[in-house]
Amino acid sequence: MRLRLRELWLDPKLLVIGLGGGLLAGLLGVGGGIIMVPLLVLWAGHGQRDAHAMSLGAIIPISIAGIATFGAAGQVHWWDALGLAAGSIVGARIGAGLLARIDERLLKIIFGVFLVGVAILVGVRA
Amino acid sequence: MSGPGLYAALVAFGVLAGVASGLLGVGGGTLIVPFLTLAVGLTQHGAEATSLLVILPTAIVGSLTLRRKGVGNLGLALRFGLVGAVGAVAGAKLALALPAPTLKIVFAAFVGVVGLKLAYDGWRSTPG
Repeated sequence: MRLRLRELWLDPKLLVIGLGGGLLAGLLGVGGGIIMVPLLVLWAGHGQRDAHAMSLGAIIPISIAGIATFGAAGQVHWWDALGLAAGSIVGARIGAGLLARIDERLLKIIFGVFLVGVAILVGVRA
Repeated sequence: MSGPGLYAALVAFGVLAGVASGLLGVGGGTLIVPFLTLAVGLTQHGAEATSLLVILPTAIVGSLTLRRKGVGNLGLALRFGLVGAVGAVAGAKLALALPAPTLKIVFAAFVGVVGLKLAYDGWRSTPG
């Protein structure tokens, strides 16, 4: 326990990654894993699986803080979130199960191009 | 859309976003926020707030699953996340202070960069 606390509180890299991931998550309403996982692996020297687990666990307090802040401003649509979350929990299991059976490279290219399209659409509507 | 139709669409889209995030580790908020603004008609701020509430239970379920499999250290991750929570409050306050069009542009830039990075990673790792 003491060792873990020292790892956490004395490693300035973890402080920076946590703050950065949290800032991005609160600003944009995303999990923050997209920035935390690569930084944990490439900068803080964690293994890929460990970094993924670390980021996923960190998203719990991060999202609670974000929800509380947005919630105080009356921005949270609870019922919409409930429907999406119900589907998302099921979907995440399906996705994890499919992982071994798909061509990940092709999927990345397709999904990446799709996201660029989404970005353009969102930008145009701004 | 309204009533049961909207709700069925929300659950169906939730499944889609969940599959994407399960496969690629991306696709939670990155997909949910644009869906909520473009298809459901929420404001950018409302969509971001709601997205975080979708992400929370998904992260809890995912973390518990990983813990059962013995991957990672949930206690350490949660303490690491407490640092992140400070950043999240600051980020959300910043978002609330920005006008919706500005926030949309920032969000679009973020999604665009994530998309380009994914496509590039996929392209680079393709043999030949």
